[in-house]
Amino acid sequence: MTLVVGSDLWQASLSTVFLHALDRAGEALRAMSDQRVEVESANVRMCGVGEVVAQVGSPDDVVVGVYLGITGSLRGHALLLLTPDGARRFAGLLLEGVLEPSDALAGPDGDVVLSAMETSALQELGNVTIAACLNELGKYFEEPVHPTVPQAIVELAGAILDAVLLDLVTDVDQVLAAGTRFTIGGETIDGTILILPDAPSLARLAEAVASHAR
Amino acid sequence: MTLTIPSGSVVTTTAGLSVAGIGELVSSADPDQTLVCYGLGSCVAVSAWDPRTRVAALAHFMLPTGTGGGPPVKFVDQGFDQFLAAFRTLGGSPARAQIKAAGGASMLAVMAGSLDIGRRNVQAVETHLSKAGLRLAASDLGGSVGRTVQLAVGNGRLLIKSVAGTKTL
Repeated sequence: MTLVVGSDLWQASLSTVFLHALDRAGEALRAMSDQRVEVESANVRMCGVGEVVAQVGSPDDVVVGVYLGITGSLRGHALLLLTPDGARRFAGLLLEGVLEPSDALAGPDGDVVLSAMETSALQELGNVTIAACLNELGKYFEEPVHPTVPQAIVELAGAILDAVLLDLVTDVDQVLAAGTRFTIGGETIDGTILILPDAPSLARLAEAVASHAR
Repeated sequence: MTLTIPSGSVVTTTAGLSVAGIGELVSSADPDQTLVCYGLGSCVAVSAWDPRTRVAALAHFMLPTGTGGGPPVKFVDQGFDQFLAAFRTLGGSPARAQIKAAGGASMLAVMAGSLDIGRRNVQAVETHLSKAGLRLAASDLGGSVGRTVQLAVGNGRLLIKSVAGTKTL
């Protein structure tokens, strides 16, 4: 089977692969949080930069992002995005019994500020979740796929996304965005996982998927 | 209200608000309009406002150089002239204009060394301004914070919002 880059079959094949990978991320979230995790059906598609930004909400929203670069056989970027309040509550779940949430962590304007422990917990959350996703994608390659060290950042959603997307769209106008939204526990914590491979990696992955099918 | 939308540009307009998405530009001569770029990271917004004709334009540049298609001001080197042309079309004079810029941040430390697109975007804007014989009246460039910018067509004020606070240029 030969997959023509950009063809419907190409997109369908890659969608299947990324849907499985995002399922693994959901399982990792469940295991790590020990909470009921509901993962919405994932969205995998080629789209322009503006559409990727729209996928996570308003570009003007302040979010907590955990960024990991993707290196090895697959190259690109991965993001876990949470609302600030959701990030704080999620960190609280992860640190239950370790750290008592404190009003002292609120900023002077009442803004959410994350402690070093909470930040570390969220970075680990991003690491585990996205690594689970990358492990699934790595099955198609002989050489491994690695995440870089995670970095948590509190920023405008659009600003985080434009920083990572610019690396991908120098020569192309569209990127493959694999994303899903999820809710955790009795109280809803909305989040988004985005996997954004570069164009050469996608071509290699499509070839690997085709080989796998033969 | 006068609003110029170059071919290929997608502009979101709500009451009094014209949004330049990534790689897009908006311009207006309506004093009640506000031109906006949301969530600038490494991207750079360049604004022009003519105090005599009260014409304004705002571009959301994405990358310093490049080839190919895409939105009208995706690349500074390809889109800068188009930005000035859109401004002139509504009666703005670049020579008379207050030109301001914001953005060009280095958002993620783990990416900063390898890409540094924010700094390169700023350099590209400065180079093209210089070639056109223009210079910045004010700027808020670089650093590591994301920014949303709003240009008031009526008075040329550029409001810059970030997680660190709000300032006006």
